[in-house]
Amino acid sequence: MAGISTKTVHDIFQNMEYGSSSTSFTTAQFWLEKHSRTLGFFADGKFYCPADRQMYNVTDSKAEVICSIVCAKDQDVASVASSASAGFKTWSELSCSQRAKVLRQSAGVLQRHSQCVSELCELSQSPTSPAALIRLAQYYTSWAQLRDTLMPTWTPRGIVAVVVSDDCSVYSLLLKVLPALAMGNAVIVVPGRSTSLPALLLAQLFMEAGIPAGVLNVVTGSKASLGVKVAQNPHVNYLTYSGSKETGEDLAKAAAGCGLPMTFSFSTSSVCPFIIFESADLDSAVDGAIEMGFRKKKDCQWVLYVQESVCDSVVARLRLRMAAMKCVPSNADRNLIDTAVQGAQQQGAKLIQSCPPPPAGGLYPPTVLCGLAPSSDTVISPSPGPVLPLITFRSSTEGVTIGNHSVHGQAASIWTEDLTLALESAKSLSVGSVWVNCHSVMDPALPLCGRKESGNCTDGGKEGLYQFLRPSLSPTLPRSTPVSINYDEFGSAASKFLIPEGFDPSSVPRFYSQLVGGQLRKADSGCTRSVLGPEGTVLAHCPDGGRKDVRNAVEAAIKVQPGWMKKSPATRSQSLYSLADLLEKKRLEIAASIQTQTGISLEEADKEVELSISRLSDWAARCDKEGGGIPFLPQSGSALSTPEALGVVGVVLPSSKPILSLVSLLGAAVAMGNAVVMVPSEKYPLPALAFIQVLQNSDLPGGLVSIITGDRDKLTHALANHSVIQSIWYWGSIQGCQFLQYSCACPLKRLWLHCECEENEEKGGRDWTSSNPSHQEELWRRAVVWKSVWIPTA
Amino acid sequence: MHLDLEWVSKVRVNTQAVLKRAQQIQGRKVAKKQWQAAWLLKALTCIDLTTLAGDDTPSNVHRLCMKATQPMRHDLLKSMDMHGKGITTAAVCVYPSRVSDAVKSLKAANSSLPVASVATGFPAGQTPLKTRLEEVSIAVEDGATEIDIVINRTLALTGQWAALYDEIKQFREACGDAHMKTILAVGELGTFTNVYKASLVSMMAGSDFIKTSTGKESVNATYPVAVVMVRAIRDYYLKTGHKVGFKPAGGIRTAQESLVWLTLMKEELGDDWLNPHLFRLGASSLLADIERQIYHYVTGRYPAYHELPMA
Repeated sequence: MAGISTKTVHDIFQNMEYGSSSTSFTTAQFWLEKHSRTLGFFADGKFYCPADRQMYNVTDSKAEVICSIVCAKDQDVASVASSASAGFKTWSELSCSQRAKVLRQSAGVLQRHSQCVSELCELSQSPTSPAALIRLAQYYTSWAQLRDTLMPTWTPRGIVAVVVSDDCSVYSLLLKVLPALAMGNAVIVVPGRSTSLPALLLAQLFMEAGIPAGVLNVVTGSKASLGVKVAQNPHVNYLTYSGSKETGEDLAKAAAGCGLPMTFSFSTSSVCPFIIFESADLDSAVDGAIEMGFRKKKDCQWVLYVQESVCDSVVARLRLRMAAMKCVPSNADRNLIDTAVQGAQQQGAKLIQSCPPPPAGGLYPPTVLCGLAPSSDTVISPSPGPVLPLITFRSSTEGVTIGNHSVHGQAASIWTEDLTLALESAKSLSVGSVWVNCHSVMDPALPLCGRKESGNCTDGGKEGLYQFLRPSLSPTLPRSTPVSINYDEFGSAASKFLIPEGFDPSSVPRFYSQLVGGQLRKADSGCTRSVLGPEGTVLAHCPDGGRKDVRNAVEAAIKVQPGWMKKSPATRSQSLYSLADLLEKKRLEIAASIQTQTGISLEEADKEVELSISRLSDWAARCDKEGGGIPFLPQSGSALSTPEALGVVGVVLPSSKPILSLVSLLGAAVAMGNAVVMVPSEKYPLPALAFIQVLQNSDLPGGLVSIITGDRDKLTHALANHSVIQSIWYWGSIQGCQFLQYSCACPLKRLWLHCECEENEEKGGRDWTSSNPSHQEELWRRAVVWKSVWIPTA
Repeated sequence: MHLDLEWVSKVRVNTQAVLKRAQQIQGRKVAKKQWQAAWLLKALTCIDLTTLAGDDTPSNVHRLCMKATQPMRHDLLKSMDMHGKGITTAAVCVYPSRVSDAVKSLKAANSSLPVASVATGFPAGQTPLKTRLEEVSIAVEDGATEIDIVINRTLALTGQWAALYDEIKQFREACGDAHMKTILAVGELGTFTNVYKASLVSMMAGSDFIKTSTGKESVNATYPVAVVMVRAIRDYYLKTGHKVGFKPAGGIRTAQESLVWLTLMKEELGDDWLNPHLFRLGASSLLADIERQIYHYVTGRYPAYHELPMA
């Protein structure tokens, strides 16, 4: 920049401006030079730069090319995957302490090369503090050490693909990679544009730390479709994604039907509330707002909510503090910012700006848009760049309500000196992380678990380890090739009405009702289906439920679920015990229904009911035992990690062990505070229908559990298309799994998919009779989301 | 203005957030070269060059006054093209008994540099109100144009804000036209909330400056406590439109620290507070270190202390 050297001491003495500080990138540049500014994908512990591949350029903030990277082709993805297979074999055969040792050494290597790591991250416009990465490595070292001690009946998933979008940070990337490694998986990283260089450097550094070749692989490319190619590879066992919603959604849809479990965190697209109550230390709150709102690179979007009584004070302080602020460089499209700001002004928003925006270019002044309403476009989808919308609210309750009224649920920052208000608000906010009197505190000990559109996976903490593990004895989803499905018409085929042959008029089959909203009902359509016995005779008629029945059930469920969740765990426990007692009373009747339906002996059926009674008691006992914990952070303060109910869970039940499986799933969901809408298996609905009378006599609130019978595909479609349902547990066809993976990408749901095809059943499927602790652990962890609350203290 | 107890009662300070902010400010780097030189000169012009010792005599007070009027070697200033631009410290600060000596020395040197005096039972403030008031009047009569008073910590710690307000108000009247700097002795106030409240009460009672400490307590000027006081100043400015100055004192010795203080003022209050009208540094040995750093900027060498004129 010309002009700087001509500034005299006297000039500066007069206007007291800050000089521009220049950072040097010599170490990072040296590393790039050493690799001739050309890097390939990383597999088998080496860089591969095959000739005749397309290359893409990585640029720094001045748009200068700093490195070219190979775009991997299909055969490259295959060789990375086979490298990972070999890596997984070596890595999973090591003992826990051997893996821990490698991770501890990698923390050391990160420390030694922290200068290079920090410079390279900054250079690739993804600034990261090396200290945070070292903390990650140290934190997961101890989990690697303790895996078999604390989670003895769990095994690693195998090869984990970690895919991130272009705007994802290196920290978020490692927050998935390191726990995957610590649990004994091999990892294939598919980095985004700004994380590709740091990911390649880290892969090399981990080799230096002694990680076996093939355990950590990086496959590079410029297109988002690379993630899909990795997902399609049959060696991969699990895929987890972090970053923007758009890229993630495309990936989810394109990879649906591969038989690959996938989870997503859409942190960078999330809009988070920053709530300032009147009881706050306003100056500190304003400091926080300025710090998080006008960063060069934001981890998520923020909206400022200020209590009306202190709005003027907050605005005055913002104005004063922002007056001296310089324009912020931003990668965002300038037109987007201009349109958003002008749009807000047209709706009557008042601007606080340190200076008018320069006519063009990448610089934009920090801007606060005052006087917006939740309906404004800039609030629904905040503009990129240093722009912060401000909304007022009247009471603290309204503040929480406004903050919750959003499709996002990543995090919230609340500011108050009133401890009771802080804890109450933290409890009521439907977000994964609540930061009290601070913001954006990231630590691996605090679980990050987005709600609603912000994600369907938990990262960090012990809670976040389970995504990289599976109970040792449970079968995995079989890999499959996606088939062509018309997603809109899934399940809409006309019901196959079975006109039974050899109808015997002397024994009139019984007509069953389904349970919707706590009442016995016919199907909304009025139609019924005939239920066939093991010999093909018509045993009964059950309602042919459909979309409207699901809708009615969900509406009833959301009315009672919050009350159920607010009940004390001890009360929930008593209700479940009484349900178990009622089942005991109807034991013979239920056993008979199992016998009639499935054709097994009465003795065997009775055994299933007996086991179901004890399973319900298990869940009753667990209600007030699974209470989260207190994570320890390096900073001083108090942290909480608590499980919360998902809301309404849709369950498409398996046909094996019809009562035991129903009771196990219902128990888990209801014990943790959820409402359930259950669809009994098409083949064996009678036991579930018989169970309705047990439910009806219980003191569970009516509507908490609904049981709807009918065409499985039709009902699955209905469950998938109701946004209130936060999670679907599915036992059914491969096509059903594919449909759910596709249609539950937006709006996002938590999926737990099981393929109930013939061959799988022969292999045993899930063993419902097993009392393995990991099975119950898996179930209740599926039934909750985590909330972390961080209250720093001095 | 009148005492507004409702305002005082509403004060809330979150300690950890303040500590974090203070750390953030300390992490902010001022650029090198001429920026550093210019900022250091600015710090120099904000110094209240102080001697507050039992063994002060007319001769060392005289030396202090001369150093204050010519704080830096002329050749160093000239090489930066800053000579003849009135580079002096902001004031000299002495005990009441030495005010007349200082006034005499400065008059003899044809300098209009203000003389500041500590007063009101400095440093403990544990003398009767009557003698404290008299002390102020005498110092003003002797020619001090700035009076650094200490507040009664007993009143602040027991929450007698109205009584504290009345005392300061009386000092204000005793000061007459002289500027009044109110020393809060933050090291003895216990909590940040108390510091904030004491700052507000002092400003309501008409202080021109609020000052952190006497330099005689065990805890002196720290950045977190300064963040709290400076926020009180901002709060007062936003409510009344009146700009009150800030003076950290005690334990400020290095040039680097003086840069952090300037950064703190610029970040929290803006450029208006970056001059001696609204910002003072109470220090004695800081000047020597600033001179050393400037010497290094000009010559590229570090001087021995004997190469720079002593105070």
